[in-house]
Amino acid sequence: AGRVLLAARNFANDASFDIKKCDVHRLEDEPPTTAVLTREEGLKYYKIMQTVRRMELKADQLYKQKIIRGFCHLYDGQEACCVGLEAGINPTDHVITAYRAHGFTYTRGLPVREILAELTGRRGGCAKGKGGSMHMYAKNFYGGNGIVGAQGQIFETYNMAALWKLPCIFICENNRYGMGTSVERAAASTDYYKRGDFIPGIRVDGMDVLCVREATKFAAAYCRSGKGPMLMELQTYRYHGHSMSDPGVSYRTREEIQEVRSKSDPIMLLKDRMVNNNLASIEELKEIDVEVRKEIEDAAQFATADPEPPLEELGNHIYCREPPFEVRGANQWIKYKSVS
Amino acid sequence: MAAAVVASTARWVRVRAGVVEAARLRCQLGGSRFGRLFLLPSAAGDVAQRRHVAHFTFHPDPENRKYGQTQKMNLFQSITSALDNSLAKDPTAVIFGEDVAFGGVFRCTVGLRDKYGKDRVFNTPLCEQGIVGFGIGVAVNGATAIAEIQFADYIFPAFDQIVNEAAKYRYRSGDLFNCGGLTIRAPWGCVGHGALYHSQCPEAFFAHCPGIKIVVPRSPFQAKGLLLSCIEDKNPCIFFEPKILYRAAVEQVPVEPYYIPLSQAEVLQEGSDVTLVAWGTQVHVIREVASMAREKLGVSCEVIDLKTILPWDIDTVCKSVAKTGRLMISHEAPLTGGFASEISSTVQEECFLNLEAPISRVCGYDTPFPHIFETFYIPDKWKCYDALRKMINY
Repeated sequence: AGRVLLAARNFANDASFDIKKCDVHRLEDEPPTTAVLTREEGLKYYKIMQTVRRMELKADQLYKQKIIRGFCHLYDGQEACCVGLEAGINPTDHVITAYRAHGFTYTRGLPVREILAELTGRRGGCAKGKGGSMHMYAKNFYGGNGIVGAQGQIFETYNMAALWKLPCIFICENNRYGMGTSVERAAASTDYYKRGDFIPGIRVDGMDVLCVREATKFAAAYCRSGKGPMLMELQTYRYHGHSMSDPGVSYRTREEIQEVRSKSDPIMLLKDRMVNNNLASIEELKEIDVEVRKEIEDAAQFATADPEPPLEELGNHIYCREPPFEVRGANQWIKYKSVS
Repeated sequence: MAAAVVASTARWVRVRAGVVEAARLRCQLGGSRFGRLFLLPSAAGDVAQRRHVAHFTFHPDPENRKYGQTQKMNLFQSITSALDNSLAKDPTAVIFGEDVAFGGVFRCTVGLRDKYGKDRVFNTPLCEQGIVGFGIGVAVNGATAIAEIQFADYIFPAFDQIVNEAAKYRYRSGDLFNCGGLTIRAPWGCVGHGALYHSQCPEAFFAHCPGIKIVVPRSPFQAKGLLLSCIEDKNPCIFFEPKILYRAAVEQVPVEPYYIPLSQAEVLQEGSDVTLVAWGTQVHVIREVASMAREKLGVSCEVIDLKTILPWDIDTVCKSVAKTGRLMISHEAPLTGGFASEISSTVQEECFLNLEAPISRVCGYDTPFPHIFETFYIPDKWKCYDALRKMINY
């Protein structure tokens, strides 16, 4: 720790970076094309992104060991989105997302051990082990939702949001594939940021955490001023397949994945920026890596060792505050008491 | 030959229904010239001009003075009263739906926007999934959401939101979040001219979904108490309002709020020979069947209004069947997969040795709700009476 303190005095306090210009739809202003990153912020974003990355890779490992079952949609590659977003909003703002939710669950404040325990279905999980991968909740974070019903609903929502000028940012994390179909084959118009039609939109480089942060700040300010909703398309990429049952290479080439990893990996981009501008040293960032690895290992240990929720929990929380009633189990001689 | 009609002030008016009827009736209420309820042409043999007459007679309950001063209200007025009480008591309560601002297509929300402001009573776009989705969001954030679906027939676009989101919210978040503050109201049931898409009774679709509650009142007094209970209840509730009763049912209803407990069936009339179970409008049909059975067969019927479809009061029904040994369930919804099948299944599990005859279900046919054939489709008192006779003679 002493060595780090000594070294810190030699670093720059902050640096200014050029970020990619955002395409805009129905907007006169644009998010800025430069961003200032302080050393402290840089280290924080790095640590959070690395934690999400390692957490997702650990989840992948646990899934292949069959310690995690069911559904699992991994977020690695898209870390800049959740981290940049969180950096651009307040903890009191409300966030809701779809099934690829582990990153957001972490950035919204839940510890890794609770996330992994939820994935393994243990009682230490954030939804007591009953929600699983898709249904994680935290303060001001409403999950974690499946999307079968959300077809066409988005346009009705755009309508209501625009009509009532609701301060809402609609975010599309465009990772180029909807399950196994590339966007070119699935969408008549791939300019998703324009699909809000009467709602203004911006298209953002989703692999650059600073770009995401500045765009989010811009969008949040717009909404908070009472002008109504906005759409934000984040162009990003996911390294894993859609879910754990998808190898991810039947609809795209390994070369493509490799290319993105070597050229646009969000963690690598941030690291290069910080090191090249004297905001941090490689050793320092390596130390953070070690810390993160340890945290994830501990969390995985907890998630594997924690007991499953008791069978009585099966019937709980169906209704609120009812006198306890009986819920039939797998056969007619098994009954669970439902308690709320 | 005109049959005599008994009419008295503020009591029930009896109208003889039937397709082949020689008598012509005119009824008056309270002697007033403007009090004609069902107008029939007095020209003899003029069947073609006859207006359709209801298949039931509304039986108001005796005035209940337990809750303070009462006022004469019909069903839609009792709903308005309940909503008024809710908005007054709960500052977070909001009412929304299609056309609710001007008062609603059935006048259930008349005057509320003027009284409570446009932030609390407002229209939504024509989007049922949006209405319920929006309601879920309001409720998750701790406010009381009272959503109106204009006809129960239109609730299906919102089915995913109700079943997959609202019903499971508490369970899937481990009680971290819930949308218990949501109540969905919808006009329900046959109305004489509703045809396929203004007459449906979809309670069976939702009965299959743990996590929500479903309630159907039979009268204005019941409606206000049950609706207030639904709004208070910390679970998402669906409240179906029999639209044919909106004007036809008139009772003395307390002005102040009062609560009728959910999941408690009511025995309207005790009996010893057969149990009749129904909900909503059909309760009035089986009441008439019970008096027909008493007069013509000397059979004593126990009449039960189920009131809450989910979770339903298994104990009351089973206790009754254990006593009588015979059960008839009647509803307008189609027979196959209708809620009578659930009741029947549970009762035969619990009361098998008590049963003297197979459980009888008198329901709508397995067809879409017809337009021109409505009178043939609905389970009227004659069909119920016939089924009852068969059960007695089993």
